[in-house]
Amino acid sequence: MKAKIGIEVHQRLATERKLFCNCSSTVSNEVPCLTVKRRMRAVAGELGGVDPAAAFEMSRGREFTYQLFKNSSCLVECDEEPPHELNKEALETTLEVALLLNAKRVNELHVMRKTVVDGSAASGFQRTMLVGTDGSIKTSRGPVGILSVCLEEESAGIVEAFEAGTVYRLDRLGIPLIEIATSSNIVDGAHAREVAEKIGMLLRSTGKVQRGIGTIRQDLNISIEGGARTEIKGAQELELLPKLVDNEIRRQSALIEIKNELKKRNPGKFVFAPVDLSHAFSKTHCGILKKILERGGAIMGFRLPAFSGLLGRELMPNHRFGTELSGYAKVVGVSGLIHSDEGLEAYGFSEAELAEVTKLLSCSSGDAFILCGGERKRVAAALKAVFERALQAFEGVVKETRRAEGELSVYLRPLPGSQRMYPETDVTPIKIERKEVEEIRKKLPLSCDERKKKYFEWGLGQVLAEKMLKSPDFTLFEEIVEKTRAEGKTVAGILLESMVALRREGFAVDSIEKQHLIELFSLYKKNRIGKAAIEEALKDVSRGKSVQETIKEKNLELFDDPKLKKLVSELRSQGISDPKQVFSEMMRRYRMNVDPKRLQLLVGVK
Amino acid sequence: MAYSKEIDGILKAKRISVGDGARITTSGVVYEGLLMPRIEVGDDNVLILKLQSGYNIGLEYSSSMQIEKMEANAFSEKPTPRYSLKKSSLPKISLIATGGTIASKIDYRLGGVKSLLEPQEICQAMPELVNVISFKSLLSPFKIFSENMSPVEWQKIAALAAKELNSDIKGLVITHGTDTLHFTSAALSFMLKNLCKPVALVGAQRSPDRGSFDGAMNMACAAHYLLSDAAEVAIVMHATSSDDYCYAIRGTKVRKMHTSRRDAFRPVNDLPLAKIYSNGRTEFLKKNYRKRSAGKVVADTAFEKKVALLKAYPGSEPGLVDFLIDKKYKGIVVEATALGQIPTFTFDKKNSWLPQIKRAVEEGIIVAFATQCLYGRTNPFVYETAREMYRLGVIYCEDMLPEVAYVKLGWVLGHTRKKEEVRKLMLTSLAGEINPMLTEEEFLI
Repeated sequence: MKAKIGIEVHQRLATERKLFCNCSSTVSNEVPCLTVKRRMRAVAGELGGVDPAAAFEMSRGREFTYQLFKNSSCLVECDEEPPHELNKEALETTLEVALLLNAKRVNELHVMRKTVVDGSAASGFQRTMLVGTDGSIKTSRGPVGILSVCLEEESAGIVEAFEAGTVYRLDRLGIPLIEIATSSNIVDGAHAREVAEKIGMLLRSTGKVQRGIGTIRQDLNISIEGGARTEIKGAQELELLPKLVDNEIRRQSALIEIKNELKKRNPGKFVFAPVDLSHAFSKTHCGILKKILERGGAIMGFRLPAFSGLLGRELMPNHRFGTELSGYAKVVGVSGLIHSDEGLEAYGFSEAELAEVTKLLSCSSGDAFILCGGERKRVAAALKAVFERALQAFEGVVKETRRAEGELSVYLRPLPGSQRMYPETDVTPIKIERKEVEEIRKKLPLSCDERKKKYFEWGLGQVLAEKMLKSPDFTLFEEIVEKTRAEGKTVAGILLESMVALRREGFAVDSIEKQHLIELFSLYKKNRIGKAAIEEALKDVSRGKSVQETIKEKNLELFDDPKLKKLVSELRSQGISDPKQVFSEMMRRYRMNVDPKRLQLLVGVK
Repeated sequence: MAYSKEIDGILKAKRISVGDGARITTSGVVYEGLLMPRIEVGDDNVLILKLQSGYNIGLEYSSSMQIEKMEANAFSEKPTPRYSLKKSSLPKISLIATGGTIASKIDYRLGGVKSLLEPQEICQAMPELVNVISFKSLLSPFKIFSENMSPVEWQKIAALAAKELNSDIKGLVITHGTDTLHFTSAALSFMLKNLCKPVALVGAQRSPDRGSFDGAMNMACAAHYLLSDAAEVAIVMHATSSDDYCYAIRGTKVRKMHTSRRDAFRPVNDLPLAKIYSNGRTEFLKKNYRKRSAGKVVADTAFEKKVALLKAYPGSEPGLVDFLIDKKYKGIVVEATALGQIPTFTFDKKNSWLPQIKRAVEEGIIVAFATQCLYGRTNPFVYETAREMYRLGVIYCEDMLPEVAYVKLGWVLGHTRKKEEVRKLMLTSLAGEINPMLTEEEFLI
C-alpha cells in the first residue's frame, strides 16, 4: 500500500526563560498557588473564515481551569499581559537546528497566533514562527525532506479532563519548543522511527534541549492513496511508531473498502431521525441502560440504512468502524454507544426489546442501528455527530486529528485548516541578519558520528561512548575533558556511573556544580588526588562543602613518592615482603591517597 | 507603511497586488503563498508572504529574486456578519459604540492597522445577548480609541445618551476603550442630570479576534445590569481574572488600576454597586444606590475646557503653574501627596509651589487638591503645609479621585465661575463622587 508518511518532532528547549516572558522554563514541582477559570470563543481568522477545529471546540461550551505556579507562570501565560520580547537564546538554538538540518532561513520572522480552542493556551492561541524551510536529513533509505523548522510556545499541560472542562497547568505553557516537520517521503513505519531518532539525536547534539519524559514528542501525518491526511498526535515512544503507522494504513484501507461496499449497496438517501427508545427499555435487564434511565437520562437511537456488517468491520486490531463512531460520540461527552453489529446478548437485552427497537427505528434486514444513552441533550448531540461521521463513510477517509493511544489512535477533532493562523500583532517582526547566522554556523556542534569518533580518541570504548552520547551530560563531559585534559574514560566513568550511584545513595548530586567537577578533575590531572578521592570528595561537595575544604578535612591528597617509599619500607620492615601483599595492604590502608599505578611500579607488581 | 519603492515598482510592473497568489524564488528556494501587506513596523525591503501552512514569512528583496503572479486576489475576506434589529419581546436597550479594543478588528489587507467595528458587528460577536435583551437602536457617533477622547466627545455621548434614555428602553450600554473609560464614566455621571435609568460603560482588555475575548462577558453582565433597578452610570467589567462575574462600579468611584488585566477596573473608596454573573444572577453590594424612576434625563453638558490636572512630586517645577496661569486656565486640580501636601517649605525656595498657588488664587483660578494616593481622604488640617494651602483658598476634594476632581471641576466651571458656588458644588456629592464615610472594607477591592 503506497502511503505518504511525514512526522513532526516537537522538542522543548533548555533555555532558562520562556519564549515570551521571564518565567522559568522548568515545569514546577510545587503545588499551584492560584487558579483562574476561563471560557473560549471561536473567532474568525485572518482570511475571514472560522477554523473548523475552533468552531467545533467552542460548540462544546467547556470551561477551562488554569493552575498557576510561582516562578513558572506570570500574567503573560494567564493572558493578562502582552508578550515580552522573543527569547534570543531560543531563537539562536532554532537557527542552529535549522542549519544542522540544512534548512533555508527566512529573512524576517513573523510571529503568528495559531488558534487553539481546546483551552491549551489561555489566550486562545499558541505563538509560533517559521524559521527555516527546505532542509533535509540523511537516512539509511535516502534523504528525507525537512519542510519546516518552527519555534513556538509549548502548550499548557493537562492535569485533568472531564465532560464540562479541562484543568491545565500554566507552568508548561510558553516553554520554547522547536517543531520540525518532515516531507511525506518517509517510506514506512520503521523508517519513520529512524527519522525520528535521527532528528532527536541531532537536537540533542546541540546540548540545548530539555531531556526527560514529555520533553520530546512526535506527531504522524499519514495518507494512503485514495485516503486523506490524518494527523496522529502525541506519540512519545519511538518503538511504537512502526505499529502506529501500520495500523493507520490499515485503518485508511479499511475505510476505503467500506466506502466501496457502501457504494455497491446504494442505500439511497439518509435522513437523521433519532428516536427516543427509553420506553422500550423501561424494564430492561441491561445494567448500563438501566442505570441511565434511573438517573433520569434518555436512550435514543437511529437507523443506518444498509450499514449492517459494516459497523463491525475491523479497522485496526480490536478497533471496529463502530469503535470509530463511538469516538465521535465520546468527544461530545457521552460514555460510548451500542451498535447492531455488536454481540448484543452480552448487554443483556431481551429479544422482545431488540424487536421493539428494530420496529421503532424501522430497521429492515441489511440496516444497522446505533443506540446511545445518557443526559438527553448530550445524547442528541452525540447521535448527530455519529450520524454525520457515518455519512462521511461514503467519502472513505476523513481528515482528522487523532491521538495516539499505544499502537492505535482515537479521534480527537477535525483537522485544522490554515485559517487558524493570524499574525501576533503584539510582537514586531524579527529580522535575521546573515552575520548572525554565520556566527552560529561557526559554532555548530559536531554530529553524533563525529562526536563518537572524538570520544574514541579520548579513550572511551564503544559502549561508554554510546552511553555518553545519549547522556544529558555529554556537553559537561566534553567541557571537563577539554578544560582539564583529564583522561576521558575516567571523566565519563565518574559522570555516568559514580554520580548515578551517589544519587542512588541519597546524595544531592544536583547541587554539585560544573566548577566543582572541573576543579576536582584538574587536581586529578595534576596527580594531586586519585580517582577514589574524586568520588569521596563529591559526597561532601554535594553537601555544600568546597573542594579544597573537603580534600583537607578528609585528607584526600595523594602521597608523593618519598612518602610512598617510606610507607612501603615500613611495611617490609614489618615482615610483609611479597610485592602483591605489600600492594594490597597499602591499598587497604591508604586507598584514597595512593595512585594504584604508581604503587604498582614502586612495588613491582603488574 | 508600504513596501519600498523598488518592491512597489516591481509588483506594479508584474501586476501583483496585495492578496494575490505569488511565487517567489530566492537563493534557490521557491516559496508560494499570498502576498501580504507590509505592516507598519520592520524593513520595507522585505516581502511578506502567507504560505499555504498559514505562516507568514518575510523574504528580503534582492535583484536576483524572481517574483511571479499566480492567481488573482485569493483573500476571501467575508464581511463580518452583522446583527440586525429584529422585533422581539425581550427588554429593549440601546447601544452607543465609541470604539476601543472591544470594537477593534485587525485589518490584514491594510496592513495590520486596527479598524473599528460598527455596532452591528459588535453585537454579532456576542451571541449570548440574544436571549437576554433586544436592541432598540445601535448608534455610533464616532469611532476612536479612548486615549483620543476629549470633553467634546463626552458632550456628544451625553447628548445622545439622554435622547436614547428618554425613549422606550430599559437602559443604555456604551462601548468604549478602557484607557480613559473612567474619565468618560465620571463625565456622564455629572452630565446626565436626573438620571432615572441605568447606563453601563463597557470595554474589553482582550480584542474580539482572540478566543479569550473578555468583552462578551462584560457585555452580557452589562445587559443584566441594565435590567436591574439601579439608575446609575456604572462601569461593568470583569471583577476577577476568571470569566465568572463582573462588577458594576459607580462611574465616579472607579479607576483603571492595571495596564492589561481583565479586572483592571477597581472601585476606589467605595464598594462595587453590584456583582453580576453572566447568567444574570445579580447581587447588589451597596444599599444606597440611585433607583430607577420615571422622569426625563437632561443632558447638562456645559464644560470648561481650560482646566488642568497636575501632579506634584519631589523636584517638581512650580513654574508649571505659572504656565497654566499665563495660558488663562480657569481651574487647576493638583494631585497632591497623601493628605494634600505639595512642596511648600522647601530648602531651596525656588522649589516651593507656594508663590505660584498664591498667584493662581489671586488671579481668580480655582485650585483644588485631590490625593495621589487615590485611596483615602484629603485633610488640610493635619500638616502645616496643607493648612497654608487651605488658608489660600485651595479646595480639598475629600476622597474624590484626581481624575474625577478634574472632570467635575471642568463641569462645575462650565456652570458657574463664582468662587463660593464652585467651592460649594465641589464639596457636595453630586453623583456619588464623595463618600462621607470611608469604611474598612473599601480598601483594595
